[in-house]
Amino acid sequence: MKKPSLAGIITVIVLLLVNLPILVIIPSSFTAAGYLSFPPEGFSFRWYAKIFERPEFIDSFWVSLQLAVITAVLAALIGTLAAFALAKYKFRGSQVINSLLLSPLTVPSLIIGIAALLFFTRIGLAGTFAGLLLAHVLISVPYVVRLVLTGLSSFDFTLEKAGYMLGASPARVFWDITLPLLRPAIVSGMIFSFLTSFDNVTVSLFLVAPDTTTLPLAIFSYMQETLDPLVASISSVVILLSLVFIVILEKVYGLDRLFGLQSQSH
Amino acid sequence: MGRRLAVPLLLAPSLIILLGVFLLPMLLMLVLSLQNDQQQFSFENYLLFIQDPFYTGILWRTIRVSLWTVLFSLLLGFPVAIYMANASGKVRGIVTMLILAPHLISVVIRNFGWVVVLGEKGWINELLLSIGFIHEPLRLLYNELGVVIGLTDSFIAYMVLAIATSLYSVDQSLSKAAAILGASRIRSFFDVTLPLSLPGIYAGVTLVFSLSMSAFVTPSLMGGTSVKVLPVIAYEQVMSTLNWPLGAALSFLLLGSTILLVALFTRLAETKRYKEVFAS
Repeated sequence: MKKPSLAGIITVIVLLLVNLPILVIIPSSFTAAGYLSFPPEGFSFRWYAKIFERPEFIDSFWVSLQLAVITAVLAALIGTLAAFALAKYKFRGSQVINSLLLSPLTVPSLIIGIAALLFFTRIGLAGTFAGLLLAHVLISVPYVVRLVLTGLSSFDFTLEKAGYMLGASPARVFWDITLPLLRPAIVSGMIFSFLTSFDNVTVSLFLVAPDTTTLPLAIFSYMQETLDPLVASISSVVILLSLVFIVILEKVYGLDRLFGLQSQSH
Repeated sequence: MGRRLAVPLLLAPSLIILLGVFLLPMLLMLVLSLQNDQQQFSFENYLLFIQDPFYTGILWRTIRVSLWTVLFSLLLGFPVAIYMANASGKVRGIVTMLILAPHLISVVIRNFGWVVVLGEKGWINELLLSIGFIHEPLRLLYNELGVVIGLTDSFIAYMVLAIATSLYSVDQSLSKAAAILGASRIRSFFDVTLPLSLPGIYAGVTLVFSLSMSAFVTPSLMGGTSVKVLPVIAYEQVMSTLNWPLGAALSFLLLGSTILLVALFTRLAETKRYKEVFAS
């Protein structure tokens, strides 16, 4: 066997460290004790049962899920349309429109949240589900635009022409030629938007109504008051759910490609 | 569908959202930040920030925490990037996956994991106490160290990938050539690998710095009430004190100081690069 290099050893340590929070939370959630301890004492599902005694977590889970699903669908739709306009039609100012569409990524989401709150208060959208949804769509659309634009950069538009020449209707061409070829990019955009919305705290913070909070925000507020294994059990549920989507994302698009795109955006 | 009609129709939904949820709100925030409590035009909120040592102290703390985060991310991330650049495609894929997957899980949850590890009764303290290495728990949380640990965990992936992608495009045979020509491994690192990874390092530093400056969740959860940074103060002005003009001004000051420092860094980095090119 090759002698492990210093870079190799540090790599293993870093990989352990960034995954440590997740590796720690799951065993902690099965503790039988009334507090967080090391090592976890005993084994029980009591903290999972406790979740159902806290309606705020169940309610906020449904709010987050609805919000994330609608955000994903809307962002995918709106972002795909915009990417099409930019890739298919060469028009003056398309560069400007492109950077405008990506501009929300360059501003910290905390500031987007504050600005949206100030404006939404004026037009009566503050504290409404619609306002929250619009803000989540805003921060998700740039990712979809980027993903679909990348997908379209290798897209051969003569295939569409060939479809027309063979007598297919525009709808048929779109459905049978364009969409299947772009599916990986659109699906990834959708999943990424779902996760962006489902995980968001800093924008939601300013826009939720007192009675309809989102799950990450409910955990955030609870954590500032109390630190007990309940946070661990709820977090474990969310981790499991996120992992399902992460695996799909890795299979459909590849995390490295996705991330390359994410890191260019800031 | 004619292109004259198609382009506006396809772009309308995204541009309407951009305008109504981003551009107009930012404009309103700018106007509000330039108002005093009598709703007259004034630079009061910005002047308050510059004159009050409380706020300049907060800004300095925000910058300090961000710089430490950059340093930690660089020191830990650089070897990972080097390792990835030299690894086979398969290993590279596994490392990428393992460094990115936790990124798609909410920062609130990752911070909670760190609280469990670093807390007074956390895993590290219990372990060190039980082997008798320490006699009272270390304070690893609710101070600047805690925030830096949390932020480094959040943003190290950006540093690693920025450096790794810049190294992927470098011809790996260059280090071999250096070795053949008799350069020691240390010499080869400083004369070949390091200069070639500089663009990636610059990109990673800029990225991690800007992200750290505007982080809100980690300073709140891992810094507690003692480590207030600019984003936390801005949040408090908007949501608790309800001083929206000041909150708006603080937001722009955060944005402005980040852009200014990043521009300064880029400027310095570029002049240095030009010098390198022309001196050799």
